[in-house]
Order: sequence, then C-alpha cells, then structure tokens
Amino acid sequence: MLVSLQWLKELVHIPAATEELTEKLTDSGSEIEGVERPGEHLSDIVIGEIKAIDSHASRDALKVADVDCGGEGVFRCVTGAPNAAVGQRVPFALPGGRLADGTVIGEREFDGVLSSGMALSAGELGIPEAETEFGLLELPDNAPVGKDCISWLNLDDTVLDVAITPNRGDLLSMQGMAREVAGIIPGAELREQPLPGLGDEEWPVSFDGLVIEDSGCLLYTLGLAEGITIAPSPLPQRIRLARSGIRPINNVVDVTNLVMLHWGQPLHAFDLDRLPAGDIGVRSAAEGERLVTLDGKERLLEEGDLCITSGGTSIGLAGVMGGEDTEVTGETKRIALESAVFAYDKVGRTSRRLGLGSEAAFRFARGVARTKTMPALAQALQLFREQAGARTDYRPLVSGEPAEPERTVSLRRSVLQRMLMQDDLERAAAILSGLGFAETGRSDEKRTFTVPAARLDVHIEEDLVEEVARVEGYDKVPSRIPPQLYRPGTTGDMVSVTRRLRETCMGRGYLEIVTYSFVAPQDVEALGFPDDDVRGRPLPVANPISQDQSVMRTQLLPGLLKALSRNLRSGIRGPLRLFETGNVFHRTGNGHCEPVRIGGILSPGRAQLALYGQEDFLSVKGDVLSLFEAVGLRPRFEQAREPFGHAGQTAHIYIGDRLIGYLATVKSAPADRMGINRPVYAFELDLEHLAGRSEVHFGSDLRYPPVYRDIAIMVPRKAGARELAEMIAELAGEWAGHIQLFDTYEGAGIPEGAKSLAFSIAYRHPERTLNDEEVEVVHQHVREELAQRGYQLR
Amino acid sequence: MTHRRSRALSKRRGTPSRSNPLPGEEQGRRPDEKRANRVPAESQGPSLYCRKQGRQRVLSVWAGPGSGTTCWEEIAVFDKVDRLREECRKALEEATDSQTLNEVRVRYLGKKGELTQILRSLGSLPKEERPSVGQAVNALREEMEERFARRQEEILHRERESREEEDWIDVTLPPRTRGWGAFHPVAQVTQEVIDIFVGLGFSVATGPELEDDFHNFEALNIPPHHPARDMQDTFYMEDGRVLRTQTSPVQIRSMQQYGAPLRIICPGKVFRRDSDPTHSPMFHQLEGLLVDRDVSVADLKGCLDAFAQEIFDRPLDVRYRSSYFPFTEPSLEMDVSCVACEGRDPQCRICKGSGWLEISGLGMVHPNVLRSGGIDPDEFNGFAWGMGLDRIAMLKYGLKDLRILFEGDASYLTHGRVY
Repeated sequence: MLVSLQWLKELVHIPAATEELTEKLTDSGSEIEGVERPGEHLSDIVIGEIKAIDSHASRDALKVADVDCGGEGVFRCVTGAPNAAVGQRVPFALPGGRLADGTVIGEREFDGVLSSGMALSAGELGIPEAETEFGLLELPDNAPVGKDCISWLNLDDTVLDVAITPNRGDLLSMQGMAREVAGIIPGAELREQPLPGLGDEEWPVSFDGLVIEDSGCLLYTLGLAEGITIAPSPLPQRIRLARSGIRPINNVVDVTNLVMLHWGQPLHAFDLDRLPAGDIGVRSAAEGERLVTLDGKERLLEEGDLCITSGGTSIGLAGVMGGEDTEVTGETKRIALESAVFAYDKVGRTSRRLGLGSEAAFRFARGVARTKTMPALAQALQLFREQAGARTDYRPLVSGEPAEPERTVSLRRSVLQRMLMQDDLERAAAILSGLGFAETGRSDEKRTFTVPAARLDVHIEEDLVEEVARVEGYDKVPSRIPPQLYRPGTTGDMVSVTRRLRETCMGRGYLEIVTYSFVAPQDVEALGFPDDDVRGRPLPVANPISQDQSVMRTQLLPGLLKALSRNLRSGIRGPLRLFETGNVFHRTGNGHCEPVRIGGILSPGRAQLALYGQEDFLSVKGDVLSLFEAVGLRPRFEQAREPFGHAGQTAHIYIGDRLIGYLATVKSAPADRMGINRPVYAFELDLEHLAGRSEVHFGSDLRYPPVYRDIAIMVPRKAGARELAEMIAELAGEWAGHIQLFDTYEGAGIPEGAKSLAFSIAYRHPERTLNDEEVEVVHQHVREELAQRGYQLR
Repeated sequence: MTHRRSRALSKRRGTPSRSNPLPGEEQGRRPDEKRANRVPAESQGPSLYCRKQGRQRVLSVWAGPGSGTTCWEEIAVFDKVDRLREECRKALEEATDSQTLNEVRVRYLGKKGELTQILRSLGSLPKEERPSVGQAVNALREEMEERFARRQEEILHRERESREEEDWIDVTLPPRTRGWGAFHPVAQVTQEVIDIFVGLGFSVATGPELEDDFHNFEALNIPPHHPARDMQDTFYMEDGRVLRTQTSPVQIRSMQQYGAPLRIICPGKVFRRDSDPTHSPMFHQLEGLLVDRDVSVADLKGCLDAFAQEIFDRPLDVRYRSSYFPFTEPSLEMDVSCVACEGRDPQCRICKGSGWLEISGLGMVHPNVLRSGGIDPDEFNGFAWGMGLDRIAMLKYGLKDLRILFEGDASYLTHGRVY
C-alpha cells in the first residue's frame, strides 16, 4: 500500500524522522519496500496569475503571456498551451526553477520573444494523473499568487510503499496506519478526527429496501445522494489519489476511493436511476449466471459467488467489482452508495477464481471491520455534499449490526517469560494500550484486554505476545542454543546414501543436475511404455504453467535426456555425463507413491575428439557398480528388455531378488527425437533399496595367500559370463575364492557363433596355505566336470 | 655434468693420466701418494726411483743395500702392477655401458683376471719379498674394486637418466581418467545446511512432494480461501491434491508420526506457479521444527544465529523483523547483512541498497498447528523456520537467474569446462 506521509501526518503526530519511521514499521511487521519522493527535483515553482495574453508575432501555435508571480515579479513567457487564459492561476517555474524530471527552466528566445520561466502542466509537476484537460494545470481561484506552489500542492510529499501482511487488513487504510504508527513510535499521538453525522430524512424516492439473502453479507448499508453534478474532483484530491496509486476519475468515484483509502472500507456507488428495480439485494449467484463487470468483461458466475442484485438481477459481484449497467456516468444525478462488509472467504474465492483483483476485493479478503462501515458512509456522503453539490440528509438503509463481537484475550507473565524470556508485564500492558487494546482485568500474573475491533487478527494469547515483541523489537529477545538440543541429530539413511552416491558420481566425472519434476507428456510417451506400465501413465498437473511441464515424471530419464539434448544442441562435442537424484511419481491403486531415484546419462563425445578412447556400455556399468560399492552392496545384472532400451544392451539390476533399476543403451528412437545423434547410456536406481543395507563385512580375514589357476571355456556367443563363473565356483567347491573373467575372444580359431571366456580362479583356504598339488586336484576336477557338461575347454 | 667439467679442468692442468676423475674423488689427492709418504722421497737413492709416464714411484722400502738382484725382480712386479693400474683405469674410462664395464671387470678382477694372475705369480718371488709385493697387489685390487663400483654406479645412473629422458610425458596433457564432475549449487547448499543443523542436534525428515490440501494448507492453519493462499500460487492435480508449496507439511507428518519432543529439519523441493528470473516454478526449501516444553523465541534465534555464522564464508550480522505466517505466532523474518556489499553500497544489486537480505521466515508454532499434529499445545510449544535453499545458493555463488539452475546446462554447471 502506498502511504502519503503528508496524509498520514494529518491523522497522527509523528515525532520521528522518516528514516526512523520506516525502520520501525519494517521491524514491526510492515515492511517498507520503497520510499519515493516524487517531487524531490521540483524547485522554484510559484503560483502565478496570467495577466495578459498576446499572440506570438510570427508563430501561430504560440502565445505570449504575462504572468504575475506576486513578490517574485511579473514574467513574460511563451506558451503553447491551448487552455491558457487571462485570470487563470497556474504553476509557474521561475527562471532557474526545476521540473519533476529535473529539467532546469531558464530564459529562452522564441522567434524574437524572450521567454523567462514557464507556465506548467500537471505532467511537468510530476502528477500526470491529476490532469483533467490538456495544457496548463489550472489552479483554483483561491490559490495565493506568488506563494510557493510546491508546498501549496503538497508536491514535496514522501510516499512509503508498505507491504501489508495478509493478517493486517486493518493496515490497508490510512486510519489503521495512523493507529499503528501511534502504537509503535514512542510519543506519536493520534489526532482527533471529527466524524460527520448521518441524515435522518426519509428517502424522497420510492425504494423498497434491502433484501439480504446470504450470510456471506455481514453488514449492508446504503446511503442516498441526490442532485449530484459529476465533475473532476478538486485538485488536492486528485493529487492525493495519484500519490496513493489510484487514478482520479470524477468527483463521485474519487470520493469512494478516498474514503476507502482513509477507512479501509470499500464503497460502491450505483447510479440509482439505472437500477433495474427499487431495491438492492445480496444473494448467492446461480450457476451459470452472467454479469458484465465495470471493466467491460463478461463474467461467468458459480454458485457461492456473492451477487448484489436489484429486482433479482445481478448488478455487481459483492466486494469484488460492480456491474457495468449500473455504473456512475457523466449524467448520473442520484447515487445509491453501498458501504457493506462481506465474508472474507466468499470474496477471496470469487476474486481468485475469476482472477479479478480489485482494491475492494483485496481489502475484503483480508478482513474489514464492521465498525468502519457507518463512518465511511457518513464521510463519503459529506464529501458528496461538499464536492458534488449533493443532498445527502437521508437516513441510510442498514441490514446487520455495525459492530464486531467483543473479544477479550489475556496475557500471562509466565507465557511472556517462556516465549520472550522477559517478564515485564507492566511494559507489555503499556505497549498493548498504545496499540489500542483496552485493559479490562489485571492481576500480578495476568492482564486481560479487549481487542480493538479493527484488529481482526488477534484472538489468542500468542497474538498478544507478538504485539509486545514486535513493538519492543526482537533484538531485545536474547539468543541461545536451545537446551532442548541435548542429543545428536541424525542424517538418516536416505540423505546419507544420497550424499555417498552424489559424491561417487562426481568422483566418476558426472555433473549433477536438477531438473523439473514435471515434464512434457510427449517426452514420456516417446519412451514407448506399454499400456499396463505405470511409467507410461504419468499424473497430470491440472493447472500447468506450460504444456512442457504438465505431467509428473515417472522416471528421471526424460529430464536427463532433455538436458543431454539441450547441451548437445549448444554445440558441446565432447563426452557428457549427467546425473540427478530426486523423486519420481507413480500412480498406485488409490493414490501415488514417490520412489526416490538416482539416474545418470552418458553420451560419448565424437570419436575424433576422444583422446584416450571411447566410453561404452561396460564403462558405464563400471560407474553403476561404483555406486553400489559406495553403499556396500553387490548387485546382479541380468540381460533384460526395456521399451526405451537397446534390445541387446539392456540390463536389469537386482539386489537379491529385488529389481531396483536398469542400465541401458537408449534406443535410437527416443534419442533421435530429441536431436541426439550419438550413443546414449542411461541408468536409474531406486534409492530405497540402497539405503542402510550395506553388505560389507570384515568378518573373515583372508590371511593365507590364494593359488591362482586360469581356465578358458568355449561357449555360445550369447551365454552369460556370470552364469559360467557361478558354475565354476560351484564346481571348485569350498576353496573357490574370487573368480575373475579376464578375457573374452571371438574370431580366428573359434567357431562362428561361439566365444571363448577365460577366467582366473583364486583357490584359498581360511586356515592354511594351499599347495600346488592339492589345488591341481581340485582344478582338474573343475576342468573335467566342465568337459563332462559339454563345454569345450581351451 | 660436474664430472665432465672437472675432466676438462684437469686436462688444462696437463695431467692426462687423471683425465677422468670419478665423482667424489678429491682433486690432487691420489691413492698412491699415501704410500709415497711412508718414506720421504728425498731420503732415497736415485737407483730406487723409477720414472714412468712422468711420475715418481717409490719402490725401495724393503730394498736395502746389497739386495741388488732381488730388488730388480721386485721392481718388475711393481712395474706390472703400475701398468695394470693404468690399463685398468683406462678401460674403466672407456667403458660407458654396463655390458662393457662387466667385461672389463672380468678381464682384470675376474677369477682368471690379470690381478689374480699376478697373485698367482707371487710364488716365483723370494719368500721375504712376497708379503710386500702381495700387499701392493691387494692394494691395487681394493682400489680397482672401489673404482669399478663407482664406475658402475655412475653408468647405471646415466643409463637410468637417459631412459627417463626417453620416457618424457607432456604433463600438461589432459588426464586419461575423467576428472571430478561438478556439484549442483542447490544440492550442495542443501547438504551444507543439513550439516549445520544436524550438527546442532536436528534430524532429517522427508515427506512427499505431492501432498493433500490438509497437510499443505489446512493443518498449517490456512483454511480454504484464506488470503495466505494468495502468497503461494499453487499447482493442483486433477484429484485436488497439490504439489506442496512449502516443506511445512513434513512438520505435520512428523508430529503425527513421532509426537513430541521433536527436533527435525525437512529439506526438499517445493512448487509454486510462478516463473521469472528470481522465481522458478520449482525450488528448494529447508524447514526446521523443534517441539518441546518451554521453548522460546530466544531458542529460535540461537539456532538461526548459529546458522548465519556458518553458512556463508564469513559470519554475517543478523536482524529479526516481525512478519506473518499463518502457521506461526509470533512470526518473524530473518535478514542477514548483504553478502555482496555488507550494507556499504546504496546501489547494490543484491540487497537493492537496503544492506539486508531476507533469508528465512520463522516463528513460534501456532497452537492450531500443534493440534493438527496431534500435540497438546498446553503441554508443548515449539518453533519452526523455513528457508529458501536456492536463494542461499544464489547468494553464496553469485547466481543471477534461478531458472537456469534447472536446465541441466553443463557449461553453466562446470564454469565452461566442457568441449
């Protein structure tokens, strides 16, 4: 909210510099987001009266004016303003004076006429919003000629941009702001504001009254103003509105806005003669009802939206925006003025659903106290009288109680002590009283207060603690490490394992990336999952920002592929290794689950750029294995199929019998689609099955050296090496230690469709060194058994 | 190099026989001079001198007057020894590789070598003269073995050196194995923040990113249509669930699961429907919660003060302001002194001249929130805070645009170390 200091100071005496005020407001919860001095460049501008106007001898568009500036003298200046007229009072920049944009005005010659100083427009004074007609800013006849125009128009005002938290609807008003300042600035005092009375006459028109049919309308009052003449508002009002960020319209609309700014009570003026019937009602909208709002847009209403109606027809969205059909126009003569309070959630819901924000809706959604309704109505009617020549002596129609239920809250010394570590109840009471809380009960341990009606946010003792603390300042509260932190914290298995894995990945040259949890549906589709695969049916976001981020990822792969493709498109030609850890989202029977995954993707660089040879499926397998090593697990790789995986180069990864991930050469189709024209290897692992399950034991010490024997076997090309190693281990029996494949060979000397695998077998005994002879016996047994099973040994 | 230069020097001095002094051998002190000193040269008769290659040789120690013939036989053996010494030295000089050196050793010092042969010939000398000649020959053998050892050392050294020269590697080549990858700034900061708070005694708790309205809003004292919902533009799923807008729902889940007392931090992704340079639709928060008896704002300040001391590369000033969150009462915000300008630059881009950076929202847990978590607010109270990890990363690493963090841009993440 923009707060004019000039205006604020009319309401409260502030014995503090602007800097102290802004600091105190910020500390107490109303953050100052900016301090503007829109007129800071203005200087040497006085009020002048145009005494004579001549046409310029050679230039038709220009006039020569003599401007009387009182004590400053009479200046002859050249002006092009179409509205310049003799007798008019205008702002006048003396020679050497400065405009709002910093321009310095001097003496200048226009075709033989010397122009000293300059008569000014609203724009040149930095208040373009206050302009009502093109040309010079016309000052009222009572403007004192020769006086400083800057201070007379309050152009040297300071405007604070205050961020009001959603709980403090009361601060969305100058009056509430003044109340707050009085409470937080020592020595600040509210100034007495005379409250205008309301008339008591019967309405001189036939009007049936109010029909309030919905409990969402907490209070409704309707005033009458007759004999209105629509015109621009007086200049000071226009300037004030402009400084508050609201565009001046006309004397009626401006009054409703000024009174709203003052009281925080939104008002709405209906052209009485444009109402469809002689009544005003409030009801819930019918489903599908339509209304054209003031901004000219047709709105489709839903049940639950609050409507203002007349004769059953909706003429406005309660608390949000009025309808176009009953809007005040230049011809309006009679006004029905609404000052009402609507339930915050009703207004908030409608305003949010329609994406229709207004000053009124903003305030209602944050709570408007019913105690403001009648004073705001009375003040607006008074201003209509003063500024639009209206008759307003009529008794307003009222439905509902113009008061808030009384709330009392107690503050205990012990609670003050516990939360703020101080027990000065006396001081706390003084602070609360400064904020308008009325003490209604006191004991040594406890004080009880009546909450000011406008403070709709205060309900419980903690609220009072906050009031005390925010005025006192949180720097007064000591700082200590909580005694409750007496035990060490734990990182937990998941975070620990994630850390180990990310460090391992980085150690193997992978770049850590974080991608969005929502992806493009076509990127999931491209992976080609069958209908019954949960990974192919991602959960959609109902209101995505873009189609590209409209479904929840079921795998890390789409994000990794996209990142890879983006990097390749950027021209990178070398190898790329990326990894990510994060949740994926799977549908389950009655909801969803979020497995946490680590996923990696690797693409070798262009061959001619590979200094030391290329990476391939097996080098990536080494990376995957290192992840398992890092968490102390031994996985098993099985030949497998994935819809996105190369038919011959896809592995499922198991821990025991549990499938926990895959490693695959990505099929060219999904990669091509993303413009990736290189091999792509990818893996993904479920972290749940890696966390806290280390299988590393140092129980048996392998003290005696092994004896190594090699064996080479010819097998079909597609036989799995691990299976053979397992068979050898089984045949070698209890002395079999680590069995390592050290060579695979296809080619000369090996028949087509076969390959030779060479294993190194470590024979070892836990309690003694084996000798060659006994090893030979076992090894020979292995050879014979293999031969018997039909394997050809080499 | 040293011995080469000294060889040149001795040539200039006109001592060709010492043309190749070995490393470590002192110039001007020769092994034979020792013996010469046993009897002063001037006390000997001229017949007892033998000149060879310009050098004096003392042979008369054991040869008294009247032992004429024997003396001359003796002299012949000594001459042979001298000759052998010179030969052997020359051969050593000429041997420049291990193999030649070995051949020289065999020739002079081997089982059938020349020295051995002299020793064998000692038998032909008169008995009383054998010891002196034997000593001279053994002295020569010792000398020669020492010289061989040194020469061998030298040759091996040279051979190793030249082999290493040939095995030269361009140490500026890129490494064969891949280097360290790169961390993601936000993931790294998350880890660091976790470490600080685990060090203080908080334990990590996590929860789902796809939440229900109850845990994300209602249980946190944010009823439907509450204006606080305007603060957080929400992504909805078709069934009405939400992508959590804050990590606070983990508070509720943890309270429900573990009860009080409770000391947790909850790091994780959160989502808001917002996208501009400083807002990403997905970002990261870390939530902290302590529920116990008699918890005060002082305790909360203590924890966050400790955090502010640790997280950036230097301790920062801290200030606390009043604020509003539906789930805390009282509510505060924490600012730290600007990491860029420390409040000294009114034009600072980071703090916009205020000197302060908002870093965390915090407060005492609202009694309604404790109730939602199944905890009796009359018995327990607590504090909670939330902080944006992306923002901390931005400040810590000077990042300007939040969204680029989530595009997996390798150039960006490696500071351009890609090709």
